Amino acid sequence: MNNEVDNREQKKLVGVLGQFDDAHTLVHACEALRDSGVKKMDAYTPYPVHGIEKAIGIPRTILPWIVLSIAAGGLCIGLGMQWYTNATTQLLPFWSGYEFRISGKPMFSLPANIPVTFEVIVLSSAFASFFGMLVLNGLPKLANPLHRIPRFKRVTNDKFFLMVDVGDDKFDASQLRNNFSDWGATDVEEVFQDQTDWKLPAFLKTFAVLALVLMLVPPALIFRARGMTYTGTRLHVVPDMDWQVKFKTQTEGPLANNNTTTEFFFQDIRAQFDDLPGTVSRSDQSGDSEFFKGIRTGSDLHSSHTTPAVLASNQEETAQEETTATTEATAADEPDWVTTIPSQVKVDRDTVLRGQRQYNIYCAVCHGYSGEGNGLANNRAVALSTSGESAWTEAKSLYDPTVIDQPVGRIYDTITNGRSTMGPYATRIKPEDRWAIVLYVKALQKTRKTAVSKTTEDNSAGDKKDSGK
Amino acid sequence: MAITVDNLTNNTFEDPSRRAPLITGGLDNEGVTEVVADLAEAPSPPRIWWVLLAVSAALTTMLGGLILLLIFKGVGVWGNNNPVYWGWPIVNFVFWVGIGHAGTLISAILFLFRQHWRTSINRAAEAMTIFAVVCAGMFPGIHIGRVWVFYWLFPIPSEHLAMWPNFRSPLLWDVFAVSTYFTVSLLFWYMGMVPDLATFRDRSTSKIKKFMYGLFSLGWSGSARHWHRYEVAYTILAALATPLVLSVHTIVSFDFAVSIIPGWHTTIFPPYFVAGAIFSGFAMVVTLLVPMRALFNLKHVITVRHIENMNKIIMVTGMMVGLAYTIEFFIAWYSSNPFELFAFQNRAFGPFWWAYLAMFTCNVFVPQLFWFKKIRTSMIMSVIVGIGVNIGMWFERFVIVMTLNRGFLPSSWSYFRPTWVDIGMFVGSFGLFMFLFLLFCRFLPVIAISEVKGTLAFQKHMALAGGYSEDGDH
Repeated sequence: MNNEVDNREQKKLVGVLGQFDDAHTLVHACEALRDSGVKKMDAYTPYPVHGIEKAIGIPRTILPWIVLSIAAGGLCIGLGMQWYTNATTQLLPFWSGYEFRISGKPMFSLPANIPVTFEVIVLSSAFASFFGMLVLNGLPKLANPLHRIPRFKRVTNDKFFLMVDVGDDKFDASQLRNNFSDWGATDVEEVFQDQTDWKLPAFLKTFAVLALVLMLVPPALIFRARGMTYTGTRLHVVPDMDWQVKFKTQTEGPLANNNTTTEFFFQDIRAQFDDLPGTVSRSDQSGDSEFFKGIRTGSDLHSSHTTPAVLASNQEETAQEETTATTEATAADEPDWVTTIPSQVKVDRDTVLRGQRQYNIYCAVCHGYSGEGNGLANNRAVALSTSGESAWTEAKSLYDPTVIDQPVGRIYDTITNGRSTMGPYATRIKPEDRWAIVLYVKALQKTRKTAVSKTTEDNSAGDKKDSGK
Repeated sequence: MAITVDNLTNNTFEDPSRRAPLITGGLDNEGVTEVVADLAEAPSPPRIWWVLLAVSAALTTMLGGLILLLIFKGVGVWGNNNPVYWGWPIVNFVFWVGIGHAGTLISAILFLFRQHWRTSINRAAEAMTIFAVVCAGMFPGIHIGRVWVFYWLFPIPSEHLAMWPNFRSPLLWDVFAVSTYFTVSLLFWYMGMVPDLATFRDRSTSKIKKFMYGLFSLGWSGSARHWHRYEVAYTILAALATPLVLSVHTIVSFDFAVSIIPGWHTTIFPPYFVAGAIFSGFAMVVTLLVPMRALFNLKHVITVRHIENMNKIIMVTGMMVGLAYTIEFFIAWYSSNPFELFAFQNRAFGPFWWAYLAMFTCNVFVPQLFWFKKIRTSMIMSVIVGIGVNIGMWFERFVIVMTLNRGFLPSSWSYFRPTWVDIGMFVGSFGLFMFLFLLFCRFLPVIAISEVKGTLAFQKHMALAGGYSEDGDH
């Protein structure tokens, strides 16, 4: 920081510096100097003096070309980034992009990609022009012999300076002194380089080494954590959307206090609340058990689906175990299924046709249009499970003896709550439509198991009229 | 250097035979340096500075507290709710980004048009831009819900799940536009400041100041070679920043215009947003510079003429905005789209009629006062109109966002009410803005010293030439 050292006693001569009081005199001095054949010189001014480039002979900078090439690179990167991430799949083995389909628009369309491309171009060229300027100027340059000269401090205020470098062929200190004075310099002096300038303070080295070592600590810790086996939660340096702290439904809930007590957050270990008292369901289905549940009034108290069968730690397991549990539960105490279509449902041709329509929408994908259990989704899943790629319980044929024997209430319940891999349709199909499907299923069954002539005759009491086709 | 410029008290008078000076008071190069450096070198800033700093620091602290509250409790602490999911946060975002447009406009576009009067005001305006963009960027930043994973906004490769942003979404364009704008403005501001930081470095006596200014002035020596490349780089940056400044508010307007909401889905949005941004930005510059020039004795550098020029721009852009408001109504009617028409009727005569009225009065009628020279050269009136314009421009964004309050589904119609957190954050953002600006006034060169000296040389050249000539520019 000792800037005010008198540099005359130091070693190496750098050049001769002349001070001028205004820009005009400086420019004339530059011209005169150039005419005398001096090449290695530079002027120092408080503001850009126009015309001085010509007087000194400064060639035009190549900076614009650098910026242009960087801008071209920005264009490629900007467009390429959008194309790679939003319009390609598995191009590279890592960090692959994926086809990002938005409202059926093209994956890669220039108009939508212009804003980002433009911003990337502007950003990269702005960096290029700023840092390009610094690099070409050799900045930052924190040690400069000129800054050791007290007089030179006024270069950023109101004085103008001209220096001839010692390396110039025509360098002659005494002659330059005279010339400068002739050209109107108010002061001339020699500039010396203090050799000790270049030495870094010792503490800086220690500091740098120490900082470097300390900077290595966090990555080292991260790598250690990533490479270790853990019983606790895995460390994620960059958390992704697929690693979230959350509880899935039907799994074990959080402990209320800590690991030592087995007190759970919610009343029954589960991760979710039971319905609070007074909760009104989407449609109130509590009134008519026969219509809403397919179970005879008075015997619907232990429906197997109101309480979860099992709590498991992951979803797949839950699904599997729930399935088995459900099957067991239903086998153990079969509810009193209704055997006739409830009176609210009009059994007529229109209802069957409605049932057919709903069946074809919801059921046919697995059970097939004809009810043989050969829907496309089922076939594909069976193929996948045969090759071991997934687990699948085949969709039942509606003509399976176990199904034929089922009372309508049981079929209705299957549609409502699902069975095995079949999911519940309660939220997707209205009760009336579910009954319509039941009717259609019954009609389908009759087409196979009974002679066509008999289809209109025997049936359960409610199924009076034409249900055959 | 000899004093050559006229010492006119009124430099707003235009004599065809002679250009009125932009720098008055007979300041020479050294004078300019001293006027600017005095602020940073004074042993203690004026008492009002301390008072304002204390107030703004308190507001900034409050803002920080409210942000923490938001992070811990969630966005529910705001009034945003169905159907107005975009409440005050986006209003404040657009408001601040708009204000942030004047700085780069002054430094880039006026530079390319060789408007010499920009040199006295560009530094402060650029600083204002950066601080405004800081305030602006904050609002969507804390609106994203999970603030701690804000980097998901950027296309950064992730650990397990390939997760890329949707590059066809205007909200993502916004991320790119605002972050690019901030970065480029910062570069532009800093680059312009390097020679002036060198001035401070060479003048400072305290060790800490010497070190800090020395570090950030990068060893600037004023070499003619350096100046040459510096000027080329500055011109390139100006040429880059010009389309950038226009693109930023265009893209901000896309947030609305690319959606298919009636009242938002209009092609007039980009130009109208840009005009509004310049309008509000200049109003803010005037509001800040008038007290600044009085407090810090900068009257000879930031003259009445500078303020008057800005007031003229405010008046022009105010009329552009007024035209846009009118055209919007015409197009709504002309489109024969009942929903479009309803959206606009609802704006003007619906539940938020008072906001529309405030917007229209402040933005269209108030700037008309500047037709009178007495008013546009009066400092107090300039500040009053400037504040009025910014109130109006805040309401403009409020009115636009509140289009949501009556959507396609009348059963969802509702009245938006901000919470105390909304209000606190908006006030707090002013605190942050003022806090940063006050620090800037105290520690950094508030005037582009080297550029003013260039203007001074030009002015002197003109004075010697006895008039305004074409070749005087270079």
